[in-house]
Amino acid sequence: MGQNANYKIMKKLTLSILLLASLSGFAQNPAPAGPQTRAIALTGATIHVGNGQVINNGVILFDKGIITAVGDGNTPTNGAEVINVAGKHVYPSIISPASTVGLQEISAVRATVDFQETGYINPNIRSLIAYNTDSEVIPTIRNNGLLLTQVMPMGGVISGSSSVVQSDAWNWEDAVLKADDGIWLTWPGYFARSFDFEDFSVSLKKSEQRQESINALKATFSDAVAYAALKNPAPKNLKFESMKGLFDGTKNLYIRADYGKDIIEAIKFAKQMGIRKPVIVGGEDAGRVIDFLKENNVAVILGPMHRLPNLQDEDVYLPYKLPGMLQKAGIAVSLSYDGAYWRTRNLPFQAGTAAGFGGIDKEDALKMITSTTAKIMGIDNVVGTLEKGKHATLVVSKGDLLDMRTNVIEHAYIQGRHINLDDKHKRLYHMYREKYGQPDLGK
Amino acid sequence: MRKIFLTGILTWGLAQIGWSQVTFPRNGVYDERPGLYAFTNATLIVDSKTTLEGATLLIRNGRIEAVGKTVSIPAGTVVADLKGKRIYPALVDIDSDYGMPELRRTPPAGGRGVPQYDSNKKGAFNWNQAIQPETDAGTIFKANVAQANELRKLGFGAVVTHPHDGIARGNSVLVTLADDRENNVVIRDRVSGHYSFSKGTSTQTYPNSPMGAVALLRQTYYDADWYKKAGKTTESNLSLDAFNQLQTVPSVFEVPDKLGVLRADKIGEEFGIQYIIKSAGDEYQRIEEVKATGASLIVPLNFPQAYDVEDVWDADNVTLAELKHWEMAPANPAMLAKAGVPFALTTANLKNKTDFWANLRKAIDYGLTEQQALAALTTTPAQLLKIDNEVGSLKPGLLANFIITSDNLFSADNVVLENWIRGKQYVYTDKNAADLRGTYNLTIGDRSNLKLNITGKPGKPDYAVMADTVKLTPKVALTNDLISLQLQLDKKQPGTTRLTGYRDGTTLKGEGEMPDGKLVKWTAVLAQPFSSTAIAKADTAKKTAPQFGKLLYPFIGMGNLEKPKAQTLLIRNATVWTNEKDGVMPNADVLVQNGKIAQVGKSLAAPAGAQVIDGTGKHLTNGIIDEHSHIALYSINEGGQTSSAEVRMSDVINSEDINIYRQLAGGVTTSQLLHGSANSIGGQSAIVKLKWGEAPQEMLVKGADGFIKFALGENVKQANWGDGVRIRFPQTRMGVEQVYFDHFTRAREYDSAWKAYNSMNAKEKAKAVPPRRDVELDALAEILNKKRFITCHSYVQSEINMLMKVADSLGFKVNTFTHILEGYKVADKMAKHGVGGSTFSDWWAYKMEVKDAIPYNAALMARAGVLVSINSDDAEMARRLNQEAAKAVEYGAMSEEDAWKMVTLNPAKLLHLDSKLGSIRAGKDADLVLWNNNPLAIYARPEKTIIDGTVYFDLQDEDRKRDDLQKERARLIQKMLSAKTGGASTQRPTFRRQRMWHCEDVEGVMAEGEEREAEK
Repeated sequence: MGQNANYKIMKKLTLSILLLASLSGFAQNPAPAGPQTRAIALTGATIHVGNGQVINNGVILFDKGIITAVGDGNTPTNGAEVINVAGKHVYPSIISPASTVGLQEISAVRATVDFQETGYINPNIRSLIAYNTDSEVIPTIRNNGLLLTQVMPMGGVISGSSSVVQSDAWNWEDAVLKADDGIWLTWPGYFARSFDFEDFSVSLKKSEQRQESINALKATFSDAVAYAALKNPAPKNLKFESMKGLFDGTKNLYIRADYGKDIIEAIKFAKQMGIRKPVIVGGEDAGRVIDFLKENNVAVILGPMHRLPNLQDEDVYLPYKLPGMLQKAGIAVSLSYDGAYWRTRNLPFQAGTAAGFGGIDKEDALKMITSTTAKIMGIDNVVGTLEKGKHATLVVSKGDLLDMRTNVIEHAYIQGRHINLDDKHKRLYHMYREKYGQPDLGK
Repeated sequence: MRKIFLTGILTWGLAQIGWSQVTFPRNGVYDERPGLYAFTNATLIVDSKTTLEGATLLIRNGRIEAVGKTVSIPAGTVVADLKGKRIYPALVDIDSDYGMPELRRTPPAGGRGVPQYDSNKKGAFNWNQAIQPETDAGTIFKANVAQANELRKLGFGAVVTHPHDGIARGNSVLVTLADDRENNVVIRDRVSGHYSFSKGTSTQTYPNSPMGAVALLRQTYYDADWYKKAGKTTESNLSLDAFNQLQTVPSVFEVPDKLGVLRADKIGEEFGIQYIIKSAGDEYQRIEEVKATGASLIVPLNFPQAYDVEDVWDADNVTLAELKHWEMAPANPAMLAKAGVPFALTTANLKNKTDFWANLRKAIDYGLTEQQALAALTTTPAQLLKIDNEVGSLKPGLLANFIITSDNLFSADNVVLENWIRGKQYVYTDKNAADLRGTYNLTIGDRSNLKLNITGKPGKPDYAVMADTVKLTPKVALTNDLISLQLQLDKKQPGTTRLTGYRDGTTLKGEGEMPDGKLVKWTAVLAQPFSSTAIAKADTAKKTAPQFGKLLYPFIGMGNLEKPKAQTLLIRNATVWTNEKDGVMPNADVLVQNGKIAQVGKSLAAPAGAQVIDGTGKHLTNGIIDEHSHIALYSINEGGQTSSAEVRMSDVINSEDINIYRQLAGGVTTSQLLHGSANSIGGQSAIVKLKWGEAPQEMLVKGADGFIKFALGENVKQANWGDGVRIRFPQTRMGVEQVYFDHFTRAREYDSAWKAYNSMNAKEKAKAVPPRRDVELDALAEILNKKRFITCHSYVQSEINMLMKVADSLGFKVNTFTHILEGYKVADKMAKHGVGGSTFSDWWAYKMEVKDAIPYNAALMARAGVLVSINSDDAEMARRLNQEAAKAVEYGAMSEEDAWKMVTLNPAKLLHLDSKLGSIRAGKDADLVLWNNNPLAIYARPEKTIIDGTVYFDLQDEDRKRDDLQKERARLIQKMLSAKTGGASTQRPTFRRQRMWHCEDVEGVMAEGEEREAEK
C-alpha cells in the first residue's frame, strides 16, 4: 500500500513538472525509464498470460527485467517491492506488427515521412535506421498497451527490412529488440487498379504486366539464392547480402497479398525459391484460402479490420469475422494496422471486435495481438506471453484491455523498466483541464 | 472501289431530282421531275394504331398526298405494286447527334488540377463555359453520308439532332437522313432545348460536381428571367438571350441514371417546366418514382453485355446489381409501357448502331408489344417534340418518309427493302427480286449428284450444296439476275470450282471452270420451292417468355423484395437507454406504433397484431445519429469556387449505396450528409434517415431545418493540394476571414434589396425591377435570417475563434463546429457563443493542423459546457460509432450515459431534431436499435435497427438474405454461362470500386491522390 501511495505522489509530481514544462513551451516526451533496480511483484491482479490462460488474483514477479514467477495468490513475493493491483488486469505488451510509428510524424508533411525509399528492389534498406525514438506518437500508443512495434518499410516491390523495437528508448540502438527480422515484399497483384479521369472512378482489372513482374522477381530471387552460395562474392552485392537470411530461416519474408489467387501464387513462389518463413500480410481475402494456408503452415498478419468489405455483395461483417475464421481453422493470425501509424493505438479494440463479431473467446483474440504475433516474428522466446524467463514487458490495465471503456493503462514495464506514461495528449489535457478548472478523472 | 463508284453515281443521280434549291445557280440543264409516285396493294401502316390492307400511298414532291384504299392515281405517276409488302412510316430518333461536330475534350490549359476560373469561350456569352444555350444546331449541322446510311438501313428517316455537350446545350434541328445538300435536309431548326448534368468539354473548373451542375442550371433560369426583365440595361449576354428563346420549345434533359430522372424533374418543378427526359435504361429499378414525375422519356436500348463469369473467384467482382441489370435491362421498355410511362426509343448510347434491331426485338421478347415499339419510334417522338406535322406517320401533308419492308417490321425475318426519304428512294434490297429459295438439282459438267439449297431471308439467302450427304458451303454473289458461285467440289481433287451464270425463270445456269482449267456448263433446276412453315413452327416453339428475377429495393445486393413497412412492435424486458430523466431502465418495455414510440414502461400489454420481441439480456437504445457523413451521395465537393452555398446535397442522394445497409448494421439511423471541406463556404446539407429501399426524397427527414457546411483551415486554403493549386482565394487563414465578411456583406445587401422589393405594393412593383435572384446569396441570407445553420469543418483554435467573431459581428450564431479538434483550447469561448462541437474521438497527426488534436477533446469540451457529439466523416467508422463514443469513457472518464448521448441525443440537438429524435420517450420517432450487449462495449453488435417503426436491419434475417443473394447470383451466373455458350458476347469483369467519400475529396482535383491515406 505504502508503495502504491508513493507511486501516486510520484505520479502527481511528475505530472506537475511536466505541466510546467509544457506551459513554458518545451514539451518533450518523458525521458526513457532507467533499468529495473529491484524485484517487483504485482499482486491481486487478473493475469492474462497471452496463451489463453487467465489467472485470477494472481501474482507476477520480475527482476532485472525478467519474469521470475507467475502464479496464483500464494506465489511468494520473496521480498520484492509489492505493488497491489487488485481488481486490475495484467497483460503482456501488445505487439504491433507492420507499423510505421517512428517513421512518420505528420503524414501530410513530406519532411516528416521516412518509410518509403525510391526504387523497386530495396531488400538492403533498413527501417530501423530511421526509427525516431523521439516521435510524439510513441508515448500515445504506449498508453493503450503497445510497448513493442515492428518498424516496417513500405513501397516499391521489395521495400526493405523491418525490425522489432521497444517503445521507450533513447535511440534506435537502445530500442531494438530484434534487428532485421524480415524483408517486405509486395506481391504483384492479379488485379491492377486503374483510374478513369472521365468519370473519376477506380476500377480493378486483371493486371496485364503481372507475369512480367513475377518473372523479374523470380530472376532476382534466383540470383539471390545463387549468390548466397558464393564464398567470397566479388563484387559484393548489398541487396543479395541482405537476402541471405531468407534462405537460412533467420529472416521472415513478409509478403503483402490480399486476393486469394495472389496469396496462393505468392506462397508457391516463396516455397519454390526456398524461402523458409513466408508470412502473408494484408490477407483481406484469406478466408477463401484457409485450407491452402493450413496445408502450407503459413501465418497471416491481417491488415486493418477497421475497413469496409471489399465487395458490394460481401458479408457486411466479414472484416470483423475474418480473424476468428482463420484462427478457428488453426492458422496463426495476427492483427495489424498496416502502416496507419497513429491509429495503431486502437489495435486492442480490433482484437475486441474480433471477439465480439468472430465468435471467439477474448483470450484467443488477445493472442492475435500478443503471443501469435511474437511467434510469427520469432521473438516468442522473450515476449508475447507472461511466462517465467521472458521479458517483463507488460501493462497493468484498469480493466479489460480490449474494451475502450476499460483500456486505461496504469503501469507499463519494458524489460522491468517502469515506463513514464505521460504523453502529449495527457499534457494538453491537463493543461486545459486546469485552465477550465475541471476535475482530474484519470486517463 | 466499285461500290464507292456506284454510290457516287447514285448520290449524284438523286441530287438531280432535288427540289427547293431554287435560290441556287445551276450548272447544267434543269432536271426538275414530277416527283409523283404511287405504291399500291400494300399493307399500309399509317401509324401504330392504323393499318390499311391493300391500300395506296401517293406522294408528290417529297410529301404525302394521299393515303387510302380509294386513292385515284393521277396521270404521270410512277406506280409500284407492293402486293405482299408493307409500308411503315420511317422511324424517328429525337436524341441523335447525327451530323454534329465531334466533341473534343481538351486538357485544361494549366495542366490537370490547375483551376480555370473564366470561360474559354470568347464573346458576349455566359460566364460559364458549360452554359451554351446559344449553340444553334441548325448552323453547325453537316450532312454525313456514312452516318446517314447507317441509320437509313435501320429504317430511320429523320432525326432531331443536337450536340451533346454542356449543361445547357442549345437547341436541336430536325433533319432527314437523305444524302443531299443541307438546304434540302434540314426540315426545321430550334425544335427543342437540351440540358444535362454534365459539363461536357467545358474546361472551366466550376462546376465539378452534379450538385454544382444543378445549381448552375437553376441560377441560369433565374439569370435569364432577370435578363429579360432588366438585365439588358446592365450587360449584353447572348447566352441568356438564347436561353430565353429556348423556353418556347420543348425542353429535353439528359440524365445519367434512374435517380437522375428524379433530380431533373425536381429542377423542372421549380421552374414550371415538364422536361422530356432522356434516360439511361435503368428506370425499371425505380419505376414508381419515375412514373410519378409525369415526365415522358427518351429511352436507349443499350443492354449490357454478359460478363465473363467462368472463374468462381474473379466473378465475385461482378455485383448482383450488375448481374440483375444484365438480365432485366431488356425488360425496361416493356416495364415502362406497362406502368404507363410515355416514352420514345432512341439509338443513342448504342455502341454499335447495328445492335438496334437485335436489341429492339429482345425488348419485344421481354414484353414490349410491337404496337408500343412502333409508337415509340414514330408517333411518340414526333408528338413529344411537336414535329408530328412533319414526321412520324403516313398522313397527307407529312414528309414522304417511309420504309418498304418484306414482312412485319419487327419479325426477325423482315428485310427493309427500301427507305424513302422526302420522296427519294434508297434501295437496300431489290423489292422485285425473285425469291430464289428452294432446293435445286445441280449439275456441273458431268457431275449430277449435287443439290443446291437456298434458304434464309429472301433478301439475304443462305446457300448450301449437298454432294450426296456431304455438305459444302459455296461462296455466292447474286446481283439482280446474275449469279457467281465458287465451291470446293472434291476433297480428293483440291481446288476451287468457279461458276458464273444467270437466272432464267426458276432455273440457274451458266458456264464454269474446274480447278484443272476444264470449262464446263452448269444448271440448277428448281426441284422444290422453299417452304417457310416448318421453320416458323420451330421458331415459335423456341420462344418462351423470358424469365427474370425479382426487383430489389434498392436495386443492389441485400436490397429488399418489397419496401419494408412499419409494424407494431413491443420490445420486452430490455435494458432501455432512454436518454431521458429515467436514465438506463433495466427490464423495461417499449411499445412502437405507427412509426412512433407509443409507450415506455414495465409490463406493457401487447396490442393486437403487435410483434413481440424478447429483449431479455439485450439493450435497447436510440438509433445512432451521425452528424457528419458522406455516404449515400454521388459527389461531395463542389470545389470550383470559394463559396458554393448554392449547391444542395439533397440533389445527389444515392439511395442505392450499400453503405446505407452497412451502417444500419452498425446501428446508424440518421445521417447528416454534408458537403465536403474544399471551400470556405460549402453546400447545403441533406439530413436523411437510412431507410434502405426508399428513394432519395423519402429518405429526407421531413421538416428538418436547413444546414450548410462551412470549412476552415488547410483544405480551404488548399495547403495539401500540390503546387498547381495556388490561385484560388484564399490561400491563408487571413483570407478565409475576408471571404466570410465579403460574402455576408453581399448577402445582407441582397437581403435588404429583396425585403425592400417585397414590401412594395403591386403598383410600385410593376414599375420596379426585381433584384436578380441569386441562389448562392439566398442561402447566405437564410443564415443571417436564422433560417439556415452552419456546420463548420474546423481544426485549429485561431480559425474557430475567428468564425465565432465573424458571426457575432453579423448577429448570428455558428451552430456546430465539426471535427473541431482544437475545440478544447477554446471550449470556454464556444460555450459562450453557444456553438456545439461534433468531433472525432481520437484522430490526429495525419496533417499539420491536427498535430495538437487529443482524444480528451470531447470530454474537455463537454465539461466546459459545449454540446458535444462524435461523428464519423467516414463510411467505415460510422459502422462502429458506438465504439467511438466509448472512447469518451476511456479518455476523460465521461459517464457511459453521457458518452452514449454523444452519438444520439447530442447530435439530434445539434440538428434541431431532438423534439423527434435522440431519446426514447412516448411520441418520438421509433428509431431504435436492439443490441446484444451494452452498446458501448467493444463486444456490442446490433440485432435490429428500426426506423420509424420499420425494421430495416435484422440480424436474424441477415443469413437468409445473404443466402438469397448467393442463390440469385448463382442463378444469374448459370444463365450468363449458357448465354455465352449460346454465342452472346461477353465482357471481362471490371470491378468498379465505389469511391468512399471524405470531406476533402474533390472530383478531378483529388483524383490523383486516390492512393494516399484518406485524410479527414
